[in-house]
Amino acid sequence: MNNDFNRRDFLKVLGWGGTAVALSGCGNGMVESGKETVVSYVETNDYMIPSVSVYFNSTCAQCDAGCSIMGRVREGRVLKLEGNPNSAINRGKTCGLGQAGVQHHYNPDRVREPLLRTGDQGEAISWDKAYALIAEKLKGVSGEEIAFLTGGVSGHLKVLMGNYLDSFGCKNHFVYEAIAPAVVRAANKKSYGVEMPRFNINKAKVVLSFGADFLGAWVSPVNFSQQYAQFRKGVNGQRGVLIQVESKMTITGANADRWLAVRPGTEGILALGIIHALGTATGEVAAAVKGYDKERVSRDTGVSAEQIDKIAALLKARTPSLVLVGSAAEGYAHGSQNAAAINLLNQVLGNVGKTVEGAAIVPFPQMMPATGNTVALNKLNKGLNEGKYKVLFSYATNPVFTAPGAMKFKDNMAKAGFKVAFAHYLDETAMQADLVLPLDSALEDWGTQVPEYMAEGAQINIQQPLMEKLHPGTRGMGDILLALIKQRGAADYKNFDDFYAYLRSAVLHNKGALGGSGVADDDIFWNETLSKGIVKLPGAAHASLSARSGASGLSLPAPAAIDAQYPLQLIPHVNASLRDGRNTNQPWLQESPDPLTTIVWDSWVEIHPKKAAELGIVEGDIVEVTGKNGSVKVQAYVFPGIHPDAISIPIGRGHEAMGRYAKGYGVNPFQILDLVYDKETGELALHETRVKISKTGQRVIVVKDEGPVGGNQEGQKIVPRMTTDKVNLSKEI
Amino acid sequence: MSISTLFADYSQFRHRHPDGDVPHNPYKWAMAIDLDACSGCNACAVACYAENNLPVVGREKFANGQAMHWMRIERYWDQDGREFPDQGARYLPMLCQQCEAAPCETVCPVGATNHTPDGLNSQVYNRCIGSRYCSSNCPYKVRYFNWWDYPTTDNVWPAEMNLQLNPDVTVRGKGVMEKCTFCMQRLRAAESDAKTQGRLVRDGEVQTACQQACPTSAISFGNLVDPESRVHKQWRAQQVELDKHEQAKDEEAGGSDLRGYRIYEWLAPYPSIMYMERVREIAI
Repeated sequence: MNNDFNRRDFLKVLGWGGTAVALSGCGNGMVESGKETVVSYVETNDYMIPSVSVYFNSTCAQCDAGCSIMGRVREGRVLKLEGNPNSAINRGKTCGLGQAGVQHHYNPDRVREPLLRTGDQGEAISWDKAYALIAEKLKGVSGEEIAFLTGGVSGHLKVLMGNYLDSFGCKNHFVYEAIAPAVVRAANKKSYGVEMPRFNINKAKVVLSFGADFLGAWVSPVNFSQQYAQFRKGVNGQRGVLIQVESKMTITGANADRWLAVRPGTEGILALGIIHALGTATGEVAAAVKGYDKERVSRDTGVSAEQIDKIAALLKARTPSLVLVGSAAEGYAHGSQNAAAINLLNQVLGNVGKTVEGAAIVPFPQMMPATGNTVALNKLNKGLNEGKYKVLFSYATNPVFTAPGAMKFKDNMAKAGFKVAFAHYLDETAMQADLVLPLDSALEDWGTQVPEYMAEGAQINIQQPLMEKLHPGTRGMGDILLALIKQRGAADYKNFDDFYAYLRSAVLHNKGALGGSGVADDDIFWNETLSKGIVKLPGAAHASLSARSGASGLSLPAPAAIDAQYPLQLIPHVNASLRDGRNTNQPWLQESPDPLTTIVWDSWVEIHPKKAAELGIVEGDIVEVTGKNGSVKVQAYVFPGIHPDAISIPIGRGHEAMGRYAKGYGVNPFQILDLVYDKETGELALHETRVKISKTGQRVIVVKDEGPVGGNQEGQKIVPRMTTDKVNLSKEI
Repeated sequence: MSISTLFADYSQFRHRHPDGDVPHNPYKWAMAIDLDACSGCNACAVACYAENNLPVVGREKFANGQAMHWMRIERYWDQDGREFPDQGARYLPMLCQQCEAAPCETVCPVGATNHTPDGLNSQVYNRCIGSRYCSSNCPYKVRYFNWWDYPTTDNVWPAEMNLQLNPDVTVRGKGVMEKCTFCMQRLRAAESDAKTQGRLVRDGEVQTACQQACPTSAISFGNLVDPESRVHKQWRAQQVELDKHEQAKDEEAGGSDLRGYRIYEWLAPYPSIMYMERVREIAI
């Protein structure tokens, strides 16, 4: 470390590089030799008593929200995951998906050995051979001929990945998260200056959500659920009011005081109509909403003029409020415009700075989550089709399952010279790979994670093994990347025997910025960090929000006319437990009833009773849902919470591979999606697929939890309900 | 054990719904569930699977009504004939109500289900002969029968999955009835820890698995006879009394502003779970 240049390079190696380096004091502390025995945290220590459980902190990897968990460990086995109360994100709570994390770890269908494809056969090979093979395939390959496809990644894993690709001069890191709110991020960036601000649901008196399923699958549901509980209790007994606008009821909609079945795609028009009804806008905003009088808006959206007035009156009377824009509003060709119109409503109401705030910033850009969606996948897909890539790596994403069938990703992937999949299961994408490298489960691996949605203060989450590895043949993703980076002869890494040593060095090197400035002893600080499972960054700066109205550029199309051949709009629904399908092989989730329909172990198509009567469809009819890009056959469920012009099929089922609990259950609506993109961002418009529906003549009994009378209480007082004028919440404990 | 103990009269030790002479002492475990906070997300139900070794039965057995969810979310719709359910759905976490005068207890031919001193409705697996009378007598439909031997059934706990089983909870075999225990293994651990330290279990010291997971903290759980416990305060604020089957809420003319109620109160099973009604805004 003789000069500044070297030091900067070195910081980059450890993940602390970038423009906003917050290292405390230069030159304090050299890198550890890295040569030390890795002592697993679960090896029996004197504080471990047989039959007494010990809890270790780590980070949930079931989705990317970054909830901190405590694993209950007994006799060397992890038995259950609880929320870590010290995390600002989940405060001791977990969702059902998080609870099922142990079933990812103990899953019987995990890949256990590196597998090499020869024709149709897979052959188990050693890791040495696998690494040698990768080195051989990469020989003489230029950076442009390599593609690295991942899901959302952050922390030191992303650092290593980036540095590995840099060693080839490769810029082809494609991030594809199939159900990420990519359009909303871009719209937020325009409206607020940041992609993901902090939402203070608990400070709002009214929440008006345009299809943001914040209690189910949107962004950081466990954090939002807790805020929601506070919001419902309100201040001084005045309970928060939730209005949900969407064409298909989500679990958030099912909890709304008023759920509005808006005509698909007209969410932005309704937002402008509300601004118009508020009557407070001036200047360019007033100009933008001119013409959006309630009669016209009511005609376009299907929401009554009286209702629009009521919403406007409520938003005026109770401030601050909060307007959210979610997946239902962004999933159209004009998704960006929808989102901009909805964000404009937030600005008009003066919520920016009150219920929409800048989140705390983790000052290490190298570690910030990499995000992306179909734009990245399309770029990769195009390159694959042109035969540009000689080597393709794939990690934590399953595009063969989640890419719209019409993209022909599977066929194009075959054109890559050599395909390496880092995988937990032999999922659809791993099945197409030439080499499958089995990964440690999230409960066996080391890592750091930076959540995209920061609740309060900035934090970096620690992931650590909760028990010994179940299968000797699996490796941690960090260890694999380190091995690959060493193949590149990167001298910077030669001192790190494994990812653990790297991680420890990295954390200790930047002790001061991670809240350890007062701790002289490295071991003490490291052990404290592991035992907390969270690194809270003291004094982190908060992003400042800009308030650009963007009203002048708004242009919303008139509601789409009904297509004569394909009269229905298909809404692929994101279910809170199955999400994009990566967790479908966890049987607790398969048997966890859908909150709206109570259906288990299968897919279904939701049809409004009126439409069902019109088409002569009853519950259990197997219907064929046909679009321009194919069809699926699926059982019908007559469901009142959907617009009559739309039907909905849940995402996440319909796997053709992955494992015994996933394969062969249900259908995959991704396969029949139309390739319509948001005009501004180019992201897939998930709700733009037009379909028709026809009976096949077959009928099945729908396997569901609700009884034969459905959701009818038959006059019994099982779940009574009160109105706000009858109840006095301020008296309650 | 001597012959004399065998013939001794144990009726004095038998527990029942307490009256003035035999109060619950020192524990009476009870719950309060706020339906205005509950979002119906199912986290509680999955947490229960994880804690209590519940088998995943699969599609076919689920279709036959053999699901083993001790905790389930019931979803109801308004029956007002409107085009859309525009005030949302109604969710109800349904689990064993741990009745004080449990209809299931009186019909068990072998005394396999009975009342414990701390107010739980217990199920003794070793004693159960599988008559299933208890289940047919339960108004809440929260008793689950092992129609199959799940530990030996394919894909219920295949290799590795079995390592997740909670060693503090029995894995049940074919032919016995089972149900929610209020996470009795956690209660017993807390009770005996407290006893060793010469004190009572403090409020918040023990949580049920469903309560611990619940993202909206809709579930509170604790000792109803401890005046400092949250659950005691909630019951008192809602004026719900354990040993009555007509509550202040129902007696108030013109409706009450209280939210607390118990399901099927009029059957007088004296449930240990108080629900608090869901609320809906009138201004919208």
